[in-house]
Amino acid sequence: MSRVAFLMREALVNLRRNALVVVGAILAVFISLSLAFGALVLNELVQRNTLTWQDGTHVIAWLKDADQGGLETAGQLGLMEEIQSWEQVETTRYVDKLAAFQEFELLFGERRPELVQEINPNALPTSIRIELTDIDLYRDVVFRLQSNPAVLNVTSAGEQIEQLSSLSTVLNVLGLGLAVLLGISAVILIANTIRMAIYARRDEVSIMKLVGASNWFIRVPFVLEGMIEGILGAGLAVLTVWIASQNLVTVGEAIPLLTLDIPTSFFIQWGVLFVIFGALAGIVGSVVGLSKYLREADGSGVPVTA
Amino acid sequence: MIRLQDVTKVYEGGTVAARDVNLDIQRGEFVFLVGPSGSGKSTLIRLMLRQEPITRGKIWVAGKDITALPNWKVPYLRRSIGTVFQDFKLLPNKTVAENIAFTLEVLGRPRSVIRPQVEQVLDLVGLDGKADRYPRQLSGGEQQRVSVGRAFVNRPPILLADEPTGNLDPATSVGIMKLLDRINRTGTTIVMATHDHAIVDAMQRRVVAVENGAVVRDDATGRYETTMHHAIDAGSTIVPGDQPVGAPPEPTPEAAEQAEHAIGSESPDVEADGEQE
Repeated sequence: MSRVAFLMREALVNLRRNALVVVGAILAVFISLSLAFGALVLNELVQRNTLTWQDGTHVIAWLKDADQGGLETAGQLGLMEEIQSWEQVETTRYVDKLAAFQEFELLFGERRPELVQEINPNALPTSIRIELTDIDLYRDVVFRLQSNPAVLNVTSAGEQIEQLSSLSTVLNVLGLGLAVLLGISAVILIANTIRMAIYARRDEVSIMKLVGASNWFIRVPFVLEGMIEGILGAGLAVLTVWIASQNLVTVGEAIPLLTLDIPTSFFIQWGVLFVIFGALAGIVGSVVGLSKYLREADGSGVPVTA
Repeated sequence: MIRLQDVTKVYEGGTVAARDVNLDIQRGEFVFLVGPSGSGKSTLIRLMLRQEPITRGKIWVAGKDITALPNWKVPYLRRSIGTVFQDFKLLPNKTVAENIAFTLEVLGRPRSVIRPQVEQVLDLVGLDGKADRYPRQLSGGEQQRVSVGRAFVNRPPILLADEPTGNLDPATSVGIMKLLDRINRTGTTIVMATHDHAIVDAMQRRVVAVENGAVVRDDATGRYETTMHHAIDAGSTIVPGDQPVGAPPEPTPEAAEQAEHAIGSESPDVEADGEQE
């Protein structure tokens, strides 16, 4: 018990007495993990935004009126049910003439009231709004709809959808790649910084061995130090990115279409992971950094005197 | 207490630092290892501490064959041996008291035991007013006293000293020798490598002379000077390893008196290293 207390005290005292080196290690963790966490958050933003754009109606089938050679309402509803049964289709929604007019009113009522005045509520065609299971499949659906005689016209987000989906894939891969790359460089940077700190104290290691300290007795305070440095640095990084993104949200409100809001749960989940990651990097750094000097002290690590 | 049998150490590159060394050191002895630089004194001490792998031969410390000791048991060996070096080897980030306490922390002693023992040792080495200083704030002599204190605080049966006075002026050295002498009187076996003639002559203890890795002389109560001369005219006649092992010292009353006279018997914290940082 007293040993555990001693080793804890030892780690804390070492942190205090080597303040400059400790601050250096914490900063290394902080900077590298800030970048990695920032990349992750950015990736999440891209994903959220493209997802929003991908939501909603992908294909609209405008239907012929009955007097134009189209179907009666019952037939149109039957057609919708048929479309609904296609495997590429997620949901369908029937928008009749009245609903179409209301939608039109909603869109232009405030800005162009004269347009709403002039239009005949019956002029707008009935339509089936289709949401796809996967937007990449829009071509098949459009093709099938166009060949149906009851369909007046088909509009789809087509090209835009294709560009968007490939853009979002590219951004996703880039963002994740960046996060992984920065994560790896963070581990190397942290491990290296802690190794340097231990290098500066290698004589201490050999003295401790001389007095009869076992390897774990020497290791524990160093590992605790590394862990504390890792946790502090990673915690600071998560906090900084969080605060930065909160500020972004306020800016983002001015930009339509873009959502810069990321739920707190995302930060908590990933934040905890990052702090654990920082702690592990610190532990690995100190274990790896020490192993050489522990081995040396068993052999020829102590400089020969006289 | 310590027995070396046909000990040979060849370093990488072919330097032979020990050649068939045979040595028997009894409990409570004070033994000087003397010889010029590079003669192999330090190597013998390092071998006794298991800081180096041995090339050939066997070493027993306190009845255990340490050449056959698994690596993980080496710390236990070192806990039974106090060490003092020329360069003090103090932990720079620890105070005087913490440096001395470290030996006991390694043993897992509770604080309630550590505190009084450290205080007692600080008193013994004459540093009770400087418990909270850092090594860099101390003179060389004071640092060596801390190092002796650390080596002795857990009352090890053996104390190995490698040129403990090598970095100190003669007056300060006398202070350190008085300390070591006092520790030896508590029953601790001391082996000290040195090339300090004055000290060896004054102490009148067993002297083992080493040259080119071989023991060339082993006198129960020896002087340093005879070494060179002995080695030169007797070098060919003395077969290493064939050395009569010196009788356990038990210094004669006269010798002991002489030693007392030479280094004084008062407490160690007198004159000597009054010099401050």
